Amino acid sequence: MKTKTISAVARKEYYHLIRDFRSLYLAFAIPVILILLFGYALSLDVDNIRVAVVDYDRTDLSRDFLNSLSSSPYFLITGHLRDLESVSTELDYGRITLAIVIPPGWTGMIRSDKIAPLQIILDGSDPNFSNIARTYITAFVDRYNNRLFEDYLNRHTLGKIKPPLEGRIRVWFNEDLESRNFIIPGIIAIIIMIVGAILTSLVIAREFENGTMETIRSLPITASELLLGKSIPYFFIGLTDVLIAVLMSQILFGVVMKSSFLFMILASSLYLMVALALGLLISSVTKSQLIANQGAILLTYLPSLLLSDFIFPVTNMPKILQILTYLVPATYYVDILRGVYLKNLGFSEMWPNYAVLAVMVLMLMSLNIVTLRKEGL
Amino acid sequence: MTPSGDNVIYAENLTKTFGAFTAVDHISFSVSRGEIFGFLGSNGSGKSTTIRMLCGILMPTSGYGCVAGHDIATEPELIKKSIGYMSQKFSLYGELTPYENLRFFLGIYKVPARQWEGRIRKAIEMTHLSEIKNRLTKDLSQGWKQRLALASSLLHEPEILFLDEPTSGVDPVTRRHFWNFIGHLSRNGMTVFVTTHYMDEARNCDRLVMLNKGKTVISGSPSQIIGSTCPDRPNADLNDAFISIMS
Amino acid sequence: MSWLRIRELIRKEFIQLFRDAKSRRVLIVAPIIQLLVFGYVVNYDISKISVALLDHSRTPESRELTTAFTGNGIFYIKEVFNQNQMEKLLLEGRTDLGIIVPPDYADTIRIGTTSEIQIIVDGTTSNMASIRVSYAMQVLERLNSMLLQEFYPLHLTYGKIDNRLRTWYNPNMDSRYYFVPGIVAFVVMLISLLLTSIAIIKEKEAGTMEQLIVTPLAPVEFITGKTIPYAIISLVQMIAITIFAIIWFRIPMNGSIALLFFATCIFLMSSLGLGLFISTVSLTQQQAMMSTFFFILPIFMLSGFVFPIANMPVIVQWIAYLNPLTHFLIILRGVFLRGAGISVFWPQITALIIIGFLLLSGSVWRFKKRLD
Repeated sequence: MKTKTISAVARKEYYHLIRDFRSLYLAFAIPVILILLFGYALSLDVDNIRVAVVDYDRTDLSRDFLNSLSSSPYFLITGHLRDLESVSTELDYGRITLAIVIPPGWTGMIRSDKIAPLQIILDGSDPNFSNIARTYITAFVDRYNNRLFEDYLNRHTLGKIKPPLEGRIRVWFNEDLESRNFIIPGIIAIIIMIVGAILTSLVIAREFENGTMETIRSLPITASELLLGKSIPYFFIGLTDVLIAVLMSQILFGVVMKSSFLFMILASSLYLMVALALGLLISSVTKSQLIANQGAILLTYLPSLLLSDFIFPVTNMPKILQILTYLVPATYYVDILRGVYLKNLGFSEMWPNYAVLAVMVLMLMSLNIVTLRKEGL
Repeated sequence: MTPSGDNVIYAENLTKTFGAFTAVDHISFSVSRGEIFGFLGSNGSGKSTTIRMLCGILMPTSGYGCVAGHDIATEPELIKKSIGYMSQKFSLYGELTPYENLRFFLGIYKVPARQWEGRIRKAIEMTHLSEIKNRLTKDLSQGWKQRLALASSLLHEPEILFLDEPTSGVDPVTRRHFWNFIGHLSRNGMTVFVTTHYMDEARNCDRLVMLNKGKTVISGSPSQIIGSTCPDRPNADLNDAFISIMS
Repeated sequence: MSWLRIRELIRKEFIQLFRDAKSRRVLIVAPIIQLLVFGYVVNYDISKISVALLDHSRTPESRELTTAFTGNGIFYIKEVFNQNQMEKLLLEGRTDLGIIVPPDYADTIRIGTTSEIQIIVDGTTSNMASIRVSYAMQVLERLNSMLLQEFYPLHLTYGKIDNRLRTWYNPNMDSRYYFVPGIVAFVVMLISLLLTSIAIIKEKEAGTMEQLIVTPLAPVEFITGKTIPYAIISLVQMIAITIFAIIWFRIPMNGSIALLFFATCIFLMSSLGLGLFISTVSLTQQQAMMSTFFFILPIFMLSGFVFPIANMPVIVQWIAYLNPLTHFLIILRGVFLRGAGISVFWPQITALIIIGFLLLSGSVWRFKKRLD
């Protein structure tokens, strides 16, 4: 391998990128947009569940029940409706998630130590959202029942009885339960895949389509030199993107690493190399920009979005997909990043993940070299 | 020079700049009906840029041009009905067969469908394409591709034919055939505007303009050009004329 | 507009797309793989919560607590014997919850005071963590009332609220019912956008654009000739994967198929319009693909597909309503899950028509029949 040849190829690719100003600018705009979106706008956490109520009872107790509901940060009472029919329209238009109907005579039943039904209707269409909404409302009713129970005990002078169990909850790793804190590492993995693999998937296919591969064949350049030269400019773009993402999430959203930045950069470089190798391999196998691009989406972007435990929990997937996730480089990278961001895990705990990524780079690059040699390089 | 009924192509101070670079610098000329008009010059002298302005592919920076009675800056779409164009770079669809390519362009030129079979047969006969008409275009040799491109630019029977370096990369025998064919077209009343950098080919033109760095160096019929540049050498050819102008 | 020209443009586009075996395969296989993977991946239904249990008490009472968890069917309990073991499992992400029963558990509850059970939750994926915690709390709550009944056999029916929760539209809250219609839309959009975004560039890069420019072809004919083939492909893909989704994932289809088809047609206008617009303003395929990605990510994230729009800040909600996928998803989910009719969807239909018309005319307007 000659450094001179590599740097010549790298320079050519660099000029190509610089002239194509828009691609370059998009390569930097994508991380900015994504981090902003996930920081400000997108959250899987549920607050302000919109509730409409129909109170047929209209007593102090029913009002107290609704007041304590609206003072909870999780619920937002959007309106008092007159009948069930209007509840149904509100739900149909998707304006509310929950409807609570307090039947007439409700307070009377409670006061006379009977069981008083409370009708709650939940829009179940969004499973993530409704699941959380259901658990919140169930917990709320349970807590209110405890209060009623204490009232009952006091009224019957049995006040010394206490509930035998109390759960004390402690949250580890993501203490504030902010979805932002686990989504941002996932987003960094997506950004690297887009810049690393999607951009490079076109790089060699382009040479085939434009017929410049003929010229390259006639030059004294080896497959590995070509590949290295082609990857270098993209490597630096990818690394810059990582830095942009890290700085933005830290400064704007206070997403801070618990472990060292060094591990983050080391892992990102390795993962970026996997992405580049994968993109280039797709490019030299398909030899067509259209197919390379479709292939890159199918093999790099979608797996890292779907199978890396970033938005969609892996534990809920069927076994076969769970096994497949071990083939997805993003799985290892996201795991390292969560260790770095949330758990204060360093190289000594996470080295197997680094090793897998390194092995992937080597395997993909060798496959790539073999493919290009077959093409006469 | 003014645009008259006989001047099917007319240009006055035609100029094209790309940023700071002036590709075509105040060129003026006119071409009459039925003429074979040649643009002669080395690579980068502004031949292709001029031809692209005349065909409405590029917008002139300044100056006036008129093709088939229409202004090239304001009425390019009207010009396009009466011209045929063959680009320097092969520009037909590689994934289609020659037959499918021809059929496609007949449709684009709105030639009535009942004439298609006849026109395609004629084009294939004229350019001797019959043996390859069902192969994929991208697998054809350079010579075949040139012939196909020529056939496709003639399909709609244009008044004026623009050929940008039609013979580059083609063997001498094919080139000879090619120029015979152009002579035949011109005798039938077609105006042919052709660019080349081969001096020996330029002899076949009725009139010539020699370009250098976007400017007209000399113009006239081949014999006029040789006569005025090398008056003392009776056996001189266009090559000698070119060298004597450049020196 | 000349139908002859458009017809020949369409014929040419189809030959180009289907002559190559590789791209033929991509067009057919890609949407099905995407649907399958997406369909299985997008699942928020909790079917398993793994628990590391550290029982310091080791009494029949504490074993009763363990049984209360295992009896639920969701909790999978792994017993650990010291704090370190539990911390290690949590660190490695191999358990979702850690439960610690204190040594004096049995004694405390027997004398009628409250014993604290520690529940440590891995908060990494915050949304799942909240659900897991509340499942655990429900188990404790139920055990509580059981124990109370046991300790105080006296008459203890107090006036309490009976939570009669009913779930509408998707009664089992099956993730698949909610997500698969969205996946159908997203997959079709992704492919149509990518195909059209390079549809015009391809001609520029191959040089064939130059030949087209010197013909009297009008921009609107060109754009129409580019839209129709991809519209047909996308519609066929849409129909195929909708049928596939209904059969394979057993998604209930409660609404009108005609409405679904109509909505798909107007949605494709925006999707293809955006792709063609990208294609007219880009110079290289690389540029076009990067631009597509620049759009596709916000389109995906800001459509309500995974992240509820109601949770977003107001300004971002406005942007979300400019997103054609948002409107299409509302229609799709409404038709599939609720069987709603066209009268409910007129705002979405109007929005889709306006967005699609603007994008398509934008590409006609931006398409210059010149090379400079």
